[in-house]
Amino acid sequence: MSRKLGALVLAMGILVGAMGIKTALSSNSKGTVMMANGPAPLPFPPPRPDSPPPSN
Amino acid sequence: MPGSIDLSIWFLGTAFELMFVVCSLARRSFLRYFFLNLYLLISTSVSIGRFLILWRYGGQGSNQYMYFYYYSDALLTLTLFGALISLYSRVFGELRTGEYVKWGAVFLLLGTAGFSYAVVAQSAQRLSTGFAYELSQNLYFVGLVLTYILWGAVLKLRETRTRLVQIILSLGLYFSGYAASYALMNLSWKFSIIRYLCPVLGCFLPLSWSITMLRNSEEARLAPAQLVAVPR
Repeated sequence: MSRKLGALVLAMGILVGAMGIKTALSSNSKGTVMMANGPAPLPFPPPRPDSPPPSN
Repeated sequence: MPGSIDLSIWFLGTAFELMFVVCSLARRSFLRYFFLNLYLLISTSVSIGRFLILWRYGGQGSNQYMYFYYYSDALLTLTLFGALISLYSRVFGELRTGEYVKWGAVFLLLGTAGFSYAVVAQSAQRLSTGFAYELSQNLYFVGLVLTYILWGAVLKLRETRTRLVQIILSLGLYFSGYAASYALMNLSWKFSIIRYLCPVLGCFLPLSWSITMLRNSEEARLAPAQLVAVPR
C-alpha cells in the first residue's frame, strides 16, 4: 500500500511540474501549444474548446 | 498540398523511422527495444495514412487531415509514453523498483487524462477532438519532465550501457527541442519557421536512435570518468 501511495505522490508531483512548465511556456502565447509526433507537416491547430461553434 | 521541402523532410523522416526498425532487426535487438520499435512502426503507418489523407482531401487546411493528424498524434504520444516507461524499467531494473515504475506510470497516465478531460469538459462540442489534442499536448510535457528525471537517474546510478544512455539522451534532446521551438514561437509568431522546425525534430529522433543502434552493440559500455582520469 505504501508503495502505491509513494508512486501516486510522485506521479502527482511530476504532473504538477509538467503542467507548470506548460503554463509558463504558454503564458505569453496565443493559446495554442504545438507539440507533434513525426515528420508530417503540421495542420492548423484545432478549434479551442471555449471557441463558439462554426456557423452554418 | 505541402511544398517540396515539406515533402522531402516528411519522406526522409519516414525513411529514418523504418531504418531504426530495420537496424533493430539486423542487430537482433527488436524485442529488447520492443516499445521503441512499436512507436516507430506505428509512426511509419501513421505517416503513410497522413499522406494518403492529405493526397485524397487536399491541403493541410482540410478538416479531414486536421482530425486524422490530432487523433493519430494522441495515439503516437501514448505509444511514446509507453516507450519512455520501458526505458525507465530498463534503467531501474536492477533496483527491483518495477512495482513503483508500473504504478507510477498508471497514476501519471490517469492523472494526465483526468486533467485533460477537466480542461475540455465544459465544451459540449468537439469534446473528443479537444480531449485528444489536450491529452497529447499534456503528455508531451509529462514526457519532458520524465526524461529529465531519467537523465538525472542515469547520472546518479552511473549507467554505463552506451545504447541505453544515447537513446535516453536523444529523447531528452527531442523533447527539449520541441519545448525550445515553442519558446521560439512565443518570441516571434512566424508559422513558416515552426513549419520546418517541428518536422525536422521529428526526423532527428529516429535518425539518432538508428545511429546508436548501428554504431554500438548491446555489450558496449561507457568508461566512467573516474577510471579514465590519469592520476597526477
